[in-house]
Amino acid sequence: MEVYEVFRQEKEGEAMVHVGSVDAPDAELAVQYAREVYSRRSEATRLWVVPRAAVMELDDADFLRPPIERTYRMGEGYRVTIAKRRQLQAREAGHGA
Amino acid sequence: MTDDQRIEEFKQRIRDGHRVEAGDWMPDEYRFRVSRFIEMHANSEIMGALPERDWILRAPSLHRKLAVTAKIQDEVGHAQLLYRLVEDLGKPREQILADLIDGKSKFHNVFHYPTRSWGDVGIIAWLVDAAAVISQAALQRSSYGPYARVMRRICWEEAFHLKHGEDIVLTAVGGTPRQKALIQEALERWWEPLMMFYGPPTPAEQDKDLAWGIKSRPNEDLRQEFLGKYVKRIREIGLEIPDPALRFDEASGRWEYSPIDWEKLAQIGRGHGPASQQRLGFRRLSYEETGWVRQAVAGSVAELVA
Repeated sequence: MEVYEVFRQEKEGEAMVHVGSVDAPDAELAVQYAREVYSRRSEATRLWVVPRAAVMELDDADFLRPPIERTYRMGEGYRVTIAKRRQLQAREAGHGA
Repeated sequence: MTDDQRIEEFKQRIRDGHRVEAGDWMPDEYRFRVSRFIEMHANSEIMGALPERDWILRAPSLHRKLAVTAKIQDEVGHAQLLYRLVEDLGKPREQILADLIDGKSKFHNVFHYPTRSWGDVGIIAWLVDAAAVISQAALQRSSYGPYARVMRRICWEEAFHLKHGEDIVLTAVGGTPRQKALIQEALERWWEPLMMFYGPPTPAEQDKDLAWGIKSRPNEDLRQEFLGKYVKRIREIGLEIPDPALRFDEASGRWEYSPIDWEKLAQIGRGHGPASQQRLGFRRLSYEETGWVRQAVAGSVAELVA
């Protein structure tokens, strides 16, 4: 028996979401079990049935979220634009007076 | 880091609301408790399919027959989801099923009773499932991530069971006096098991499953919520709850009820309920009778390997 992980898409265009696993002796039965367990009420527009052995799990925080300053990659890192814009607005207003 | 420090750190992570995943390190006690808890839940799903199975052939209409069959299929499906989690925690499925039929592991008290009439089917599907949804909704916040996720799916399906049960009850109560009496009798049979459903009012600080975050709410809290939601709904359709002491105490904001015989519940849990042995006997028979299916499945592996 082998464990297969099951991913489901509930609506066309949506992401494949992990919903659980099945235990099956071969790929053919894994597909049948996945349909029976995870789309009994026609919840799926698509299923991915993947041998667990093929999944590489990464959860090492040092690898995934290294403590490196990365605000320059984010929109939030540019909040300073609000202050800069105000300064410029004030300056322009000063010129007009 | 010593083991004690590691365990303390783990407990703190749980208190901080972090979720544990199957591949994470976990203390032996946590693994043991979460595995046992889910195993009992899974056993209950599969044993819960049995009392209802008796009613597929006796359901009063084709629609009810289809709905009861779908509910049973859901219960077995829930057992499938949950047994997968127990397997991932380290206990093989063959062992889980063997322990169940050997009476070594437990299943929920409500499945140790016979179903005497179609009224029982309605009361079980409405109120037993309603009680289950309250505890399962709380389990969506379990510290064990895979369990919390499965619980979301299970609650979604139980919502249909509950509505179907309520429909059976309302239909019968709105029918002839004999039909209404059938539901009243069933309610009288099932009230005690329902009051026992969440177990004794163990103080939160003594409940280890609560301390590890496997459960998220104390037993008595769940019972109070059940009473708060359902006593009115039961009474307003003209049914009588067989407990003269049942009342809402405005001062304490809590429901009061007649004392419950917790020793009786413990005995039922150990397999001494009115239908415990009959049900286990049936499960055993069914396991033996379906042996050829397991052999055929295992055979397909042998053929692939050959």
